[in-house]
Amino acid sequence: MRLTFTVILRSLLFVSLAVMVYDSVRVEQKFELLGRGYIDGFSVNISNQAGIIFLVIFILFFILNVIQIVVMKRNKSKQAKVEDYLLPEYDTSDERAVDITGRAVRFSFGFILMYTFIILGSYMFIPTYFLDYVWYPMFSTASIPVFGLIVYLISFKILYAR
Amino acid sequence: MLVNRVKELRARFNLTQGELAKRIGVTRQTIVSLEKGSYIPSLLLAMNIAEVFGEPIESIFYKEGDDE
Repeated sequence: MRLTFTVILRSLLFVSLAVMVYDSVRVEQKFELLGRGYIDGFSVNISNQAGIIFLVIFILFFILNVIQIVVMKRNKSKQAKVEDYLLPEYDTSDERAVDITGRAVRFSFGFILMYTFIILGSYMFIPTYFLDYVWYPMFSTASIPVFGLIVYLISFKILYAR
Repeated sequence: MLVNRVKELRARFNLTQGELAKRIGVTRQTIVSLEKGSYIPSLLLAMNIAEVFGEPIESIFYKEGDDE
């Protein structure tokens, strides 16, 4: 449950950052187009909602990380090292969990290598992404860790249930 | 393949999976996997289990086909 929650929170963190960056870039781009004379004028709604959502998720994630480190330090019987807890996605509750974490990370790493290859290649098919699909670079980049995390979570759950 | 007598010994010592897990410092799911034979423990964990049951490691964990 803790792992699922952490993965969801981390994924939301990436998505909210992508939304925040997109929100900023689309406005910046309009100014750039106006400055270069491509458009005569534009109207835009500016809101700080995306930034607030990002900050709330970031703070939640930070608090979760701190709680986990404190709990780990109190529970010395499990002999976990501090570096094992640098990423809260890593389960080091016992030696089997550590072993499964390693295997799930290997699956996830393999997936990220292949997926990044596809994402990078996909830019070839959207040559005007910077004009028509400004959101594409942000969301495709954010999708790399998000899908990687999902693969990690699924692999971990399957291996753990064996 | 490595087989073990953890389930048999646990029953003999009248321990639940949770109690054994607590005594050797692992989660109950690890004991479940051990008993199913789907997880091979580290030497340290095997020693901890042997200590709980008061038997030598080789009498608890052995290769399939070997005499105990």
